[in-house]
Amino acid sequence: MKKLLAMMFVLLLALAACGGDGDNEEAASGDSEKVKLSIWHNFAGDDLRARSVRDMIAQFQEDNPEIEVDEQAIPVDGYRQRISTVAAADELPDIFLTYAGSFTDEFHKSDLIQPITPLFDDNPEWKDSFLKGALDPYNYDGELYSAPVAMSATSFMYYNKQLFEENNVEVPKTWDEFISVIDTFNSKGITPLAMGNKAPWVAQSTTFGAIADRVTGTEWFMNAVNEDGASFTDPVFIDALNHFKELVEHDAYPEGANSMDNTQAEQYFAQGKAAMMINGSWTISSLSASVSEDVLKNIGITTVPAIEDGKGAGNTITGGPGGGYLLSSKTEGAAKDAALDLIYTLSNEEAQNTIAESNSMVMYDLELDQETVNPLFYEAFNLVKSAEFAPVYDLHLTSAGGEAVNNGLQEIMLGGDVEKVAQDIEKAQAANK
Amino acid sequence: MSTETYKQNSSLGFSLKTGLFKTIRVLFLTTFSLLMVYPLYWLITSAFKTNEEFFTQPYAFPTSFTFENFQRAWEVANLGQAMINSTIVTVTATVLTIFLGALTAYVLSRFTFKLKGVLVVFFMLGMLIPVHSTLVPLFTLMNEVGLLDTYWALILPYTAFELPIAIFLTVAYMSTIPKELEEAAVIDGSGYWGIFFKIMLPLSVPALSTVAILAFLRYWNEFVFALVFINDSSLKTLPLSLAIFSDGFSTDYALTMAAMTIAVLPTIVMYLMFQEQIMKGMVAGSVKG
Amino acid sequence: MQSSSKLRGLLVITLLPALLLYSFFVIIPIFWSSYYGFFEWSGLGDATFIGFQNYLEVVQSPIFWRSFKNNLIIVGASVLGQVPIALGLALLLRKSNMFQRFVRSAVFLPMVISTVVVGLIWGYIFDPELGVINAVLRSVGLESWTRAWLADPEVNMYAVAVPIIWNYIGPYLIIFIAAIQNIPGEIEEAALLDGATGWRKLVYIILPNMWGTIKVVIILCISGSLKAFDQVFVMTGGGPAQSTEILATYMYNNTFLVYRYGFGSAISTMIIILSLILILISQVLMRRKD
Repeated sequence: MKKLLAMMFVLLLALAACGGDGDNEEAASGDSEKVKLSIWHNFAGDDLRARSVRDMIAQFQEDNPEIEVDEQAIPVDGYRQRISTVAAADELPDIFLTYAGSFTDEFHKSDLIQPITPLFDDNPEWKDSFLKGALDPYNYDGELYSAPVAMSATSFMYYNKQLFEENNVEVPKTWDEFISVIDTFNSKGITPLAMGNKAPWVAQSTTFGAIADRVTGTEWFMNAVNEDGASFTDPVFIDALNHFKELVEHDAYPEGANSMDNTQAEQYFAQGKAAMMINGSWTISSLSASVSEDVLKNIGITTVPAIEDGKGAGNTITGGPGGGYLLSSKTEGAAKDAALDLIYTLSNEEAQNTIAESNSMVMYDLELDQETVNPLFYEAFNLVKSAEFAPVYDLHLTSAGGEAVNNGLQEIMLGGDVEKVAQDIEKAQAANK
Repeated sequence: MSTETYKQNSSLGFSLKTGLFKTIRVLFLTTFSLLMVYPLYWLITSAFKTNEEFFTQPYAFPTSFTFENFQRAWEVANLGQAMINSTIVTVTATVLTIFLGALTAYVLSRFTFKLKGVLVVFFMLGMLIPVHSTLVPLFTLMNEVGLLDTYWALILPYTAFELPIAIFLTVAYMSTIPKELEEAAVIDGSGYWGIFFKIMLPLSVPALSTVAILAFLRYWNEFVFALVFINDSSLKTLPLSLAIFSDGFSTDYALTMAAMTIAVLPTIVMYLMFQEQIMKGMVAGSVKG
Repeated sequence: MQSSSKLRGLLVITLLPALLLYSFFVIIPIFWSSYYGFFEWSGLGDATFIGFQNYLEVVQSPIFWRSFKNNLIIVGASVLGQVPIALGLALLLRKSNMFQRFVRSAVFLPMVISTVVVGLIWGYIFDPELGVINAVLRSVGLESWTRAWLADPEVNMYAVAVPIIWNYIGPYLIIFIAAIQNIPGEIEEAALLDGATGWRKLVYIILPNMWGTIKVVIILCISGSLKAFDQVFVMTGGGPAQSTEILATYMYNNTFLVYRYGFGSAISTMIIILSLILILISQVLMRRKD
């Protein structure tokens, strides 16, 4: 009996001690003169870009021994959740990777981040080299909060050159041509379009955004987002949804598109089972890592077909600035200087170039060396530099509004009612504005 | 060979009818077993394939058995460290679960006292709770007491969430242990603790091994708590390391399969070792009333 | 026997550690979470108190009730699938020879795989193009039966339930085997003397003696399937168009995808309440059978 009591005490003590241990550790490392700096990002994987970014941070650590960088590479799958959980508990790291749009807006609204404007003032040449509009999403009341280290270009049309030749089909430039190409491939038993919409943002981000922009024009969308004289129940938006429904009704997508993931869809396309695929720039990096050179050479890339009677331009690519690093509002003094230093190191011209050379798009004006990058990437990057951007839906909608669009498109793919989908989207967007 | 042993064991009264029945039974059980094992077989064979092979021939036997995927997965995801962490967390939490579960079950199954009914319901409540609903409050709570980023940040909540089921199973089992044994022990001069350690604990081995296995597997494979409560990359457990080959846009299936295979192997080995233990425990522990 | 103060001391010492641990990590967070349910809170910044609004919204949300219905499908599939299969197997596997041990190990094997991996593997098995199910159907000429199992709202909820059943037969089997082996030998011998063999023995001797265990397993089954999350989350994420949404994914998506912490917390509280009601109902039903 006594023995057991003693055991119990030891156990409780051990628990208490271990709780204490954590604190002691922090205190102990605090009194050394090293500046502590924490950075969280989602470049955890084995792909080229992730490795390059981790290398840059390692290099920074080596160059600055007086700074102690605490780096956390969190798998993308759990990244948003991790960041939101620590933000809810007010425990954000000094520097963390964000996504442009509503994700960043939330941090700004809650005063959890601070501007990095001085960095831009000190490096005017760097600032001017960003592509047009690159800094807009991070500009709140004239202060800049981040520099994008990625470009999200979400709607390229990839096509299988061989399949088009074999079946005597031209790459479609207009909507009518597009529909007739879809019918032709269907009649030959070839799936017209590959899509992996299991994670339901795919249809919205890669396909619908581009179609909708062609139908409604960009201005209408921005008004609808702000509930400012436009609504998602407007006829023009119903028309956009109907264009998407037209694709579904012409059996453009394979039966299981809603249960395929993006990688499966890309492979489905690469294997020649589908003639076309509308997908983002990420497809280039993942295909160049996983398929043979011959397969890659057979892939062509262009923009989504124009819609002649629409209100928007016909050759836009949905996309814009991607993620960048944010600085926590709690970081002050020496840590802040070090943090600014690190953010610059990860976003300057050299960094942008390194990222681009890993077949990943950036919002920075670079002359790419055709020899060193993948030809498909080279083609795509130049396509983007010359084209206009259209907004990606879920980067501008509230998270609830974006979810409603994602779910609505899946509903339409399952034969759902367009009007009802429009109402759901409007309701979600208006309620959580 | 398995049919051989089978026949020997059931050689009593071997008529044609029962023979046919037994053949059907063996066939049925074999098919069923293969169905149960197939997905695991698929996982392991897939781990040997290149990404291209994985997509073009998802069900074929791998063309070559190189360990390249395993090697890369091991290095990139730092699986060695992750395995050590998972072992520490899982073993500690399992031991804690068994001990606290058995102790509580002993009291709840053997004594009557005022608040007993309330306590039982109170513990059972825990079986209904979706762990995800407690994420944010738990995070805040553990942050306050400085538990985050320690092994305890996983060990304690794991144990706490597993306690209801451990207690539930053990109480059910202990209730079947006849009172007479205790009375005999009391006559021999054992106190409550003596009864617990000398009688209840050993006799409950079958139930406790079941509890241990369930707990072990749950802890070894748990993802969400590990994701949220552990920052320090040197403390990361295995399931966290499996997710890093998927970045939302693309998934490196070859490396994912390899990493998953590496993660699954210890549990299979553990189970195969443990299984004998349970079966023996069952025979030894089955009380003839 | 022994003094009551000693007993009281024993109760305190034995129960306290488990009770403290459990309260701190399980019970307090639940109450905390149901308290969050009264706020409009994005997880960042300030929360606004809005009374019962979130709870009202949950109760009025058709998706919530659809998720509940889907949960019931999983509960039904588990109780009607896992329990009979595990029980049947346990009866067939009462010996401990090599073959039976092999079958037992095979049945338990899925249990050792992490639920995330289970979801991933079955996602592949159900794949309309590459999946082995459609491949088998095609090869036996049942082309018309092939489907996009996870994408087609008519069947996907049932498809999703299969891996969950597959995953958890093992532990129930082991519990049943243990129970059968614990049926006192004298009872069986007495039954044999009375001429009870085969089915009669099963119905009159084995099953009644196992009823307690069966009840335990059914309760475990119900509470387990109400908490199901990982497999569904990995296979479909609740989609397409929320057709396989279950309570836990609905809560998760609202909390971590849409950042409505208050609303998500209200959903979790409702899940606990609904689960309690279900368990109570099943308890009452099973008590009547006794």
